[in-house]
Amino acid sequence: MEFGREKNEIQSAYSSKRVIIPKELREPNPRLWAFIILVGIALYLMVIYPVKSFDGYVDPFYAPTILILPIVGLFRVTCYAYRKDYHRHIFKHPVECAIGKREDSAKRAYTGETGFFRFENLHRYFLYASILILPFFYYDIYKAVAFNGAITFAALLIAINTILVTVYLFSCHALRHLTGGRVDCFGCKFAGQRRKSYFDFQSYFNAHHEQLAWISLLMFVLVDLYLRALGAGLPINFTLLHL
Amino acid sequence: MSEESGKRVINISIYRTDENGGGGYKDYEVPIQEGMVVLDAVRYVQEHIDTTLAIRWNCKAARCGSCAAEINNMPKLMCKTRIDTIKGKIRVAPMSAFNSVADLVADVSENYLINRQIPEFSPREAEIPWKIKQIDVERTKEFRKCIECFLCQDVCHVIRDHKADYVGPRHVVKAASLDMHPMDTVDRSEFLNNEGGIGYCNVTKCCQEVCPEGIKITDNAIIQEKERAADRFYDPLLWRREKKR
Repeated sequence: MEFGREKNEIQSAYSSKRVIIPKELREPNPRLWAFIILVGIALYLMVIYPVKSFDGYVDPFYAPTILILPIVGLFRVTCYAYRKDYHRHIFKHPVECAIGKREDSAKRAYTGETGFFRFENLHRYFLYASILILPFFYYDIYKAVAFNGAITFAALLIAINTILVTVYLFSCHALRHLTGGRVDCFGCKFAGQRRKSYFDFQSYFNAHHEQLAWISLLMFVLVDLYLRALGAGLPINFTLLHL
Repeated sequence: MSEESGKRVINISIYRTDENGGGGYKDYEVPIQEGMVVLDAVRYVQEHIDTTLAIRWNCKAARCGSCAAEINNMPKLMCKTRIDTIKGKIRVAPMSAFNSVADLVADVSENYLINRQIPEFSPREAEIPWKIKQIDVERTKEFRKCIECFLCQDVCHVIRDHKADYVGPRHVVKAASLDMHPMDTVDRSEFLNNEGGIGYCNVTKCCQEVCPEGIKITDNAIIQEKERAADRFYDPLLWRREKKR
């Protein structure tokens, strides 16, 4: 439907074409190239220098295996929090909200989340897969504690990482839609009051989804680096509580 | 801010249109008063310096949404922006996502046309007066706080820069307020996905940042409508359920 807005040449020509690889990925964009190269290098290094489970500690990137990384990666790539960030800071649509600083313009073609980027709607499937993987993280806490017979600093970090991943998953927009967002009439449903309370509780975390997404990702990397340092023989682990 | 003959004044730069359809910024000096907002300064210019300045305002209490403008490049309500929160020069422009009428007045009428295209409220048959539980009232109350200032439409890069066929944040909020009404029977996600172009929104949340009413436009309206559209159009597991319905 047209809303009476005058289109410029780029938008008119672009909207009439069926494009498989969108202009966003084809335009000269050093930010995108740098991002792809950095992620590529990181993945390559993680595959050729794997962290083997030692002293009962399992690296979160390898829990239970590095093969799950595409699922976790796609879950994060299609996550609404990261979508905001990469559409802003990688594709610059727009970088900032302030007019004049947004680096977005009518001269740049734009498809948004139509066309190629419709794959982002599969977020819910990556969510389901990620929920299935989550128990492995909890098993890794048990393993880290049971193997050493003590709560060590490394086990504590693994536990904090697991809690952060859980809260990040819990605050997901797709999960929120599934548990309460799709309901129009809570009052008409069985246990509607409780369901609405649960929805509100989840919404509270959902309001902080972006922060949780980044804190959780950062924690993943920090735990990975910490366990790699332990594996390299650095004496940075200590016991907090003997069991 | 500067002091001239003991009187504190502020420099304000206001966008003025000319007869040829063009325009530019013109500088004015306005004496400062305690608690002054940008609208006070603009009104001072209109009343004491240049009476031909066109502005639109009504309540001066952030309730009517009439005085929406771009203040130092950010869409804001003039009546809700205190002078003392702005460092340096103040620059006021009309909402430039819309056609200009004159000076600071933008033509927001396209929004009323879009509003008419949203499938209307269609309640199910029920005994009158309707009984709606408080939990359901609370959910859509947030969306009804909208004062239709159209700052979200103005800041939306999809509308502003790309002129895409996207209804815009205000209208997704409107559709969501109807969709999530417990008595309503219509699912507007189909309209939003097809004619409404909700796929063009890339959830960058500028609309949410500028909303003077603090409505979580992206989190509570747009993303929820996107998820509803995903239920109907992008989730193969739910397609079967849809057909059975």
